Amino acid sequence: MARPFTLTVGSFLSALVLGSSAFAGGTGFNPWDERVIREGIDYDALANDPEFSLEALRDKGKELFEGRFIKDEGAGRPNATQAIVPTKRRRPAGHMFLRLSGLDANSCQSCHAMPVSGGAGDFTANVFVSEGFESADFDTTDPQFSNERGTNHLMGAGLIELLAREMTADLRAQRSKAVVAARENGQAVTLQLETKGVSFGVLTAQPDGLVETSGLEGIDSDLTLRPFGQKGVFGSLRQFTVNALNQHSGMQPAERYGVAWTGTADFDGDGVDNEISIGQVSAMVAYQATLPAPGRKTPLPDIWVEAAKHGEHLFSEAGCASCHRPSLPLESLVFQDPNPFETAGTLRPSDVTTALKLDLGTLDWVKALPKDDQGRTLVPLFGDLKRHRIADAARDTLGNELLSQRFVARDVFLTAELWGVGNTAPYGHRGDLTTLHEVIDAHGGEATEARKAYTALPENDRQAILAFLKSLEIAE
Amino acid sequence: MSRRIEFSRAFLIAPMLAFAASALTNTPSQAQDETLRQSSLAPVPHFVEEAHAAGLDHKYEGPWEYFVGGGVAIFDCNGDRRPDLFVAGGQNEAALYRNDSSPGGALAFSKTATGISDQRLTKVLGAYPIDFDNDSIQDLVVLRLGENLLLKGKGACQFELANRSLAFEGGREWSTAFSAIWEQGATYPTLAFGNYVDRSAPGAPWGACHDNFVFRPDEGDALKYAQVLRLSPGYCTLSMLFTDWNRSGEPALRVSNDRHYYRGGEEQLWALSPGRPPRPYRRSDGWRHLKIWGMGIASIDLNVDGFPEYALTSMGDTKLQMLDDEADESVPVYRDIAFERGVTAHRPYTGEDLRPSTGWHSEFQDVNNDGLWDLYIAKGNVEAMPDFAAFDPDNLLIGQWDESFVETGDIAGIDLDRRGRGAGLADFNMDGLLDLVVINRSAPVSLFRNVGSGTADAPQPLGNWLGVEIRQPGVPNPFAVGAKVSVKIGNRTIVRDVQVGAGHASGQAGFLHFGLGVSERAQVRVRWPDGSWSHGYRVFANHHVIIDRGDEAAKLWFAN
Repeated sequence: MARPFTLTVGSFLSALVLGSSAFAGGTGFNPWDERVIREGIDYDALANDPEFSLEALRDKGKELFEGRFIKDEGAGRPNATQAIVPTKRRRPAGHMFLRLSGLDANSCQSCHAMPVSGGAGDFTANVFVSEGFESADFDTTDPQFSNERGTNHLMGAGLIELLAREMTADLRAQRSKAVVAARENGQAVTLQLETKGVSFGVLTAQPDGLVETSGLEGIDSDLTLRPFGQKGVFGSLRQFTVNALNQHSGMQPAERYGVAWTGTADFDGDGVDNEISIGQVSAMVAYQATLPAPGRKTPLPDIWVEAAKHGEHLFSEAGCASCHRPSLPLESLVFQDPNPFETAGTLRPSDVTTALKLDLGTLDWVKALPKDDQGRTLVPLFGDLKRHRIADAARDTLGNELLSQRFVARDVFLTAELWGVGNTAPYGHRGDLTTLHEVIDAHGGEATEARKAYTALPENDRQAILAFLKSLEIAE
Repeated sequence: MSRRIEFSRAFLIAPMLAFAASALTNTPSQAQDETLRQSSLAPVPHFVEEAHAAGLDHKYEGPWEYFVGGGVAIFDCNGDRRPDLFVAGGQNEAALYRNDSSPGGALAFSKTATGISDQRLTKVLGAYPIDFDNDSIQDLVVLRLGENLLLKGKGACQFELANRSLAFEGGREWSTAFSAIWEQGATYPTLAFGNYVDRSAPGAPWGACHDNFVFRPDEGDALKYAQVLRLSPGYCTLSMLFTDWNRSGEPALRVSNDRHYYRGGEEQLWALSPGRPPRPYRRSDGWRHLKIWGMGIASIDLNVDGFPEYALTSMGDTKLQMLDDEADESVPVYRDIAFERGVTAHRPYTGEDLRPSTGWHSEFQDVNNDGLWDLYIAKGNVEAMPDFAAFDPDNLLIGQWDESFVETGDIAGIDLDRRGRGAGLADFNMDGLLDLVVINRSAPVSLFRNVGSGTADAPQPLGNWLGVEIRQPGVPNPFAVGAKVSVKIGNRTIVRDVQVGAGHASGQAGFLHFGLGVSERAQVRVRWPDGSWSHGYRVFANHHVIIDRGDEAAKLWFAN
């Protein structure tokens, strides 16, 4: 059983109450009921169900992802801020919705919608990212209070998280090996960290178990690869979902905002206890983890096919592919929920007796992905899941934020995965660059040489690169 | 189709069963218990007693002089950063146990020789670790019935007696308390010894308390403790602590005394200004008369206002003192908030014995890693005092979000029928959960492994946590006694001081433990003993971090 969070009873009781409606029939709900949450989802029952259906769970998750939450089921957080650590507001919120500090949505899909549910968002769907601690109720776009960000798409996110997990496990194993070797040999061991061909700098292990991490690059000092968010500061779909439900919709998942960690089942003080159960979060995770990865636009006219082929070659030649790697190899397609590296506040493997396992290998779009000679699935993300400095004095467009986010400097961002870039304009982390050329031209910092190589190309070759990028589409 | 139906059941039927099971198991007797005792909303960790299996077979016992004492020093004696144990034995020899526990596994200790003669290790009541000679190896101050010992650590769990080389007169008193501090500008620490009954005084033991002593290091480069200052009168001290009670940067010495033997005595606070003799705070200074059977001090800044709160164990009510509104930075007026916070712990919380409790060691720690301080109190009848509870289990008061504390000793599994004395909470198997060692009178030492929300076979973590070690390499006071460590998680700040002293004859050095709740990262700042603040160190949860003064970034430490 799920240990500290068996929180399905409330939802069940709601269902019982509604069952008394004259119109409800057998469902417990009137057909026109506006509620999104219409049933409890029992995590343990799912995890132990021998006939578990990934499709059915995904469908439940889709309903939650796309549904417009209402006040009666917990939408709104009058006494809580948007912070990922449960934080009380100094005074009750004056508004149910406020475009800046939130609530800024009552549905995930209201932003993640382009060109399909789970996709990206236009500039109108930008989010104003604040830690939510000091000045949590900011009502200005002044960048000293928040970072304005475009909405990323979630297509293929399940594979992204699996890649990150394998890379985390690999990097930590390398660290352990270095610590053991230093202890055994009585000498410091300096290690070049690399996983799936991506380098993450160096660390040094001392014979007494000390590890110096100042030489790490593009990853946090705990060697947890966090692949989500423009900054790469969220480790899992589950963690992001728990954060986002609270921030954007004021729906507070019990696994973080419930009694165990806050002393109350109604932390946001809206009169609704345990608003989202672990099973419901799992359904939302399942939906996002199974969203098909973007592919290549088809059909294309011959001229575009030819240009894209040439452009893909040039993309690599120019050095773009050193960060926007065409693919990374993935060993296992089994998506365990929760993530094995989760920490308290998001469901952890230790919180459940049996973890839910979603076999993404059963999905047709996953089966269609190429494999390498070791049988590994090649995930065509066009990214490296690593953070890089992307701006400098000469090119500061992408360094336009004032606030660092969760220890990551203001001009450092995760390499944007380019799968789907063809139909998810506008570009840049603020979503304020209208064309692919503009965003390429904005690259500075570590991407300076690649950008220079691109700009030095003849116009036809630049067009070829754009043709290639425009072919990387989310299927509609 | 049938698959779909089965799946629907998983959504709808399972919650129904869970609800029904919950209703069925809620028996009348349980409901009654719940009305009698408040339940902890915060997670309660499970503790598994495994002293014998861990190789920790030790007993503190002896005649009347050992009714008190029974301490343990928790510190790293061999440089592997795992906490080892030096355990008082009373009439038995004190013993040193090296920590062989595997990370995250069962606890394991090996008795190891200290290099000190057996005779010196008898009559030991307690011990405190401190690096008094600044060589970055923890030394030991050993409290005895008779000559106290300064044991210089040599590494590899070996010690040498340093009384003579340091010109330290160990005395012949019955020493039961200790604290130390590096006074401002001092190279070496000032040592304070608390003494109990003067057995040679006329009329002893009644009204015959010994003076307490303060040893300031002699001037000059070499460490010598030739001069002794008397804190007179002494009131049969059982716990003492150098503490910066008023944020002045100049710690004063708080002294907790046993009213059972003193006449006209009280709790004490001594000012120690550098270069000046100790001076007691008096009524005219605002210090209020308080008589308790003071046995153990625990100190923490609960409301993070810079003014620490103090839990004082006693017979009957435990006190919890907070500076009163009438107080200011020169007027130490305290009020007791024990009742409003639920920490009086005045009688056993389980069993049939309703007579008052007898409290000894106390310690604030975060045993469930939820970011709220919890309070542990060792309990046990002095010997067979008829007016006090015979079955007197230790307390584990879990901090709640409404600032109260809720008793959970029995739920946690530490409610043994033993007479607790000294104790300490430390992470012996480096898994991020604080374990517990309790020295019992005339009974085996208890060693509890904290298995979180799991079992002995399958421990489970609770909240996120952080272990912090701070150092000042190459300067006096390398382990930064007197520093304050501030950990910021979201809008909340948790602080604790690096101190030597308090508790009941029991001290510890090593990682400072912080529970982080659901935060996966934190910012750590250090106010070094000279008062200067570090920058904020950005660290991730569930790690041991080392902060060397002046370093740009914290280092990580791994047990394996």
